[in-house]
Amino acid sequence: MRSLQREPGVLLALLAVIALVGAFIVYPQLRVIATPGTGYVDFITGGTWIRSTSQSIQVMLLSTTSAVLLGFVFAYGMVYTNMPWKRFFRVIGILPLLSPPFVVAAAYVILFGPRGLISYNVFGQSPNIFGLGGIWGVQTIAFFPFAYQLIADVLSRSDARLEQAARNLGAGPWQVFRTVTLPLSRPGLGAAILTTAIYVLEDFGNPALIGGTFTVLPTQAYGLISGFGDLPGATAVSTLLLALALILYVAKIRLDGGRSFVTVSGRASSMPRPPVPVALTWTCFAACLALSIVILTVYGSLLVSALTLNFPTILTPTLQHFQYITTGTNGTALQNTLVFGLVAAAFSAVFALVAGWLIERGSWRGRRALDFLLIMPAAIPGLFFGIGYATAFNEPWLDWLDRGVLIIISMIFWNITVGYQAAVAGLRQIDRTMDEAATSLGASSLRGFRDILVPMLGGSLRVGFVTTFVRAVTTLSVVIFLFTPSSTVATIRIFQLVNDLNFGRATAFTVADIGMAMAALGVFAILARGRVALGAARA
Amino acid sequence: MTRIDRAYDRRTFLKLAGATAAIAACGGATPAASPTATLKSDPTGTAAAPSPAPVTGTLSVYSALNESTNNEFFKAFNVAYPKVTVNVLPLAAAGELQTRIRTEKASPKADIFIGGSSEFHDPLGKEGLLEAYLAPNAKDIDAKFKEATGLWTGWYTGIFGFISNNSRLGEVGNKKPATWDDLLDPAWKGKLVLPDPVKTGGGYIFIATQIFRFNKDEAKAMDFMKKLHANIAQYVPTSPGALTLIDQGQFVGCPNWAHDILTEKGKGNPIDLTIPTDTGFEVGAVSIVKGTKNLPAAQALVNWSITKDAGDLNVKLSNRGSTRADVAPAAGSPKLSDVKLVNYDRQWATDNKDRLLKLWQQTVGL
Repeated sequence: MRSLQREPGVLLALLAVIALVGAFIVYPQLRVIATPGTGYVDFITGGTWIRSTSQSIQVMLLSTTSAVLLGFVFAYGMVYTNMPWKRFFRVIGILPLLSPPFVVAAAYVILFGPRGLISYNVFGQSPNIFGLGGIWGVQTIAFFPFAYQLIADVLSRSDARLEQAARNLGAGPWQVFRTVTLPLSRPGLGAAILTTAIYVLEDFGNPALIGGTFTVLPTQAYGLISGFGDLPGATAVSTLLLALALILYVAKIRLDGGRSFVTVSGRASSMPRPPVPVALTWTCFAACLALSIVILTVYGSLLVSALTLNFPTILTPTLQHFQYITTGTNGTALQNTLVFGLVAAAFSAVFALVAGWLIERGSWRGRRALDFLLIMPAAIPGLFFGIGYATAFNEPWLDWLDRGVLIIISMIFWNITVGYQAAVAGLRQIDRTMDEAATSLGASSLRGFRDILVPMLGGSLRVGFVTTFVRAVTTLSVVIFLFTPSSTVATIRIFQLVNDLNFGRATAFTVADIGMAMAALGVFAILARGRVALGAARA
Repeated sequence: MTRIDRAYDRRTFLKLAGATAAIAACGGATPAASPTATLKSDPTGTAAAPSPAPVTGTLSVYSALNESTNNEFFKAFNVAYPKVTVNVLPLAAAGELQTRIRTEKASPKADIFIGGSSEFHDPLGKEGLLEAYLAPNAKDIDAKFKEATGLWTGWYTGIFGFISNNSRLGEVGNKKPATWDDLLDPAWKGKLVLPDPVKTGGGYIFIATQIFRFNKDEAKAMDFMKKLHANIAQYVPTSPGALTLIDQGQFVGCPNWAHDILTEKGKGNPIDLTIPTDTGFEVGAVSIVKGTKNLPAAQALVNWSITKDAGDLNVKLSNRGSTRADVAPAAGSPKLSDVKLVNYDRQWATDNKDRLLKLWQQTVGL
């Protein structure tokens, strides 16, 4: 990229990105951070944060490790091996992302609780799943798909020629993996670890429902709000979470500082990847299958619940729960969910790509700050993102603003991180000479971005879109302070039904929501495939 | 392309924002004036509505009531006041609604906050976020069920009872608790759950009940809570969530709301309701949010919800009791006057909530 003064187009894009980040990430969060005021002193001296912080870190280390390991095995199996059932695993890899945690946590209790259908009825065990063990297990399943998505994107872009070359020089598969594949996927791995860690840190739903007395920072904050009406104390907890995210971020910068991860150079490669040993292929297959069985059991139980009278007590088959969700405002809620999710995902993916390009390819001052601001939203618990929006944008002069639009905006910026991380990781693997060739031939930087880089970044764009979509359709906490009767969404309805002790209806709603989201993603996948082919043809 | 769009959006945004601010500044008086205007031009409304003053317009209601109650209850209100459009924002979590009303104080979006025990309404009143209204029908409501200045009005009651799972009761010697002290029996160890006192209204009322049971001797009450803690497997984040665990037999018993336990039993779950002696109760409240754009309709809803008709309907829908003496309780449901209650000092319990919850947290080490 040339200097900004010489390219007004780039400068304008940059100013637009800064303005939007300022208005929709920084400003609402400043309102939240400023809420405690002098309350910070009380909060720090009160000392109640010490245990929840250490427990938060404990959970983060455990869940991130297991989720990233699983995600890596899954991604490696999908990208490197020719194991069977890949299509099936691809669907399984996205299923845990598509459902609100409070329903799934309830399903875990039904299956694996002290009198769980599997734990007790099958194995005769009466485990106490409430606590650290429960959170760890549930979060591993809930967050491995994020790691899988990010890692698979990076692995699939690594250059097969380097690996073939290493094999031809006599390196074994393990040595190739250790010395070529793994080092080259470091930006993706780093991004995957960072994102997963931050998501685990801010996760509220799972610890709230299955954590029992094991308090982590987001549940502590919630307790302060709902029990004590102590918004200042709760927002102080939120600030503490941001500080932790900042530490993680700095650690990650230190880890991959300054190295080059370029794997895509000027010439296209059509070389196949070196074959993976059969034993490894089947090990990956077995691991993916085992994980799939757990996931299918959990989601299968939701389906059974949706189709029976009062699961798990009364198993008479019925369609009445599905009939219910077609009545009243339930249809509107489903429709809103779909529309909000799709619009937010499209904007978020494009915005993330543009921002990623400006930051990764630019050399202007303050890049690092903007970089952090775009990673920060992942560390903000949805509750505080929502509260930030509710306080910042609930002004009389803004009353004309449709709440649906505000919800969409909140979803775009709350979920910007993964798409942005994917864009940066992708760009770091593409040799700068690619776009520099275009600019030295006279194209503007923007044109080089649009015509050269964007077609090669289809994977990153897809990651951004899918992640924002699934997080948008499953979030409750962001929306809970923003929704209005006309802008209600599926998660709000499901939450209401769960609290109304109507698990059958809640699960029917969840199944409909997942089905709808699946269909939307399926259509998107077909469209995206066409677009990627188009990009390749143009290149 | 994108760049141009962005710049344009931003400009339009600012322009629109400015225009709206100007309109808001000039026309501030219009919303308040319009209901009166329509009121005069609508003489036919008088015949349809039982209330002497016909009310119109829309009403934004933040409701912590159950799903099924919401639908029927506001439909019935609409029969009495057909010209009022009620937009219900349903969220069966009074704490969240309370927080929403707080965060929205710069530009309130709710006219009415209905449901949830009075502990959730009272602090909002103290913070000046509620509009006082002494409803005419409140003359039929006992003073202990309403706020003296009319900041909130109690319209239903809920008694704290105990749910037990029939198929697992044998594990604790087939004994349902006659008193709360019975729950200290070591047989209950690991088989008992409680709605989290910090996160649920019910859990706190349970603690307050213990304090009143020991004549406000907090040390004795905390000693009880500490001993009980040894038997408790789990503090559950929502009251309904705790009922589900007992329905499924994951645990054997739980102190919880009698009306919800009855509803669960009605669905065919293998559970039973008992009311231990010296129990506590909640008063479900309704209040008007300060800054309401439709005061006449808001007042009409408050006044209507304490009529006998509304009380009867709510009893039928939710198994709860009414604050009106002339409303009979639901079948199988205990009447407030028939159970042995502690002398529940609601104002004291509300005013000391933060302190007592912290004391409890220290006592049990949470």
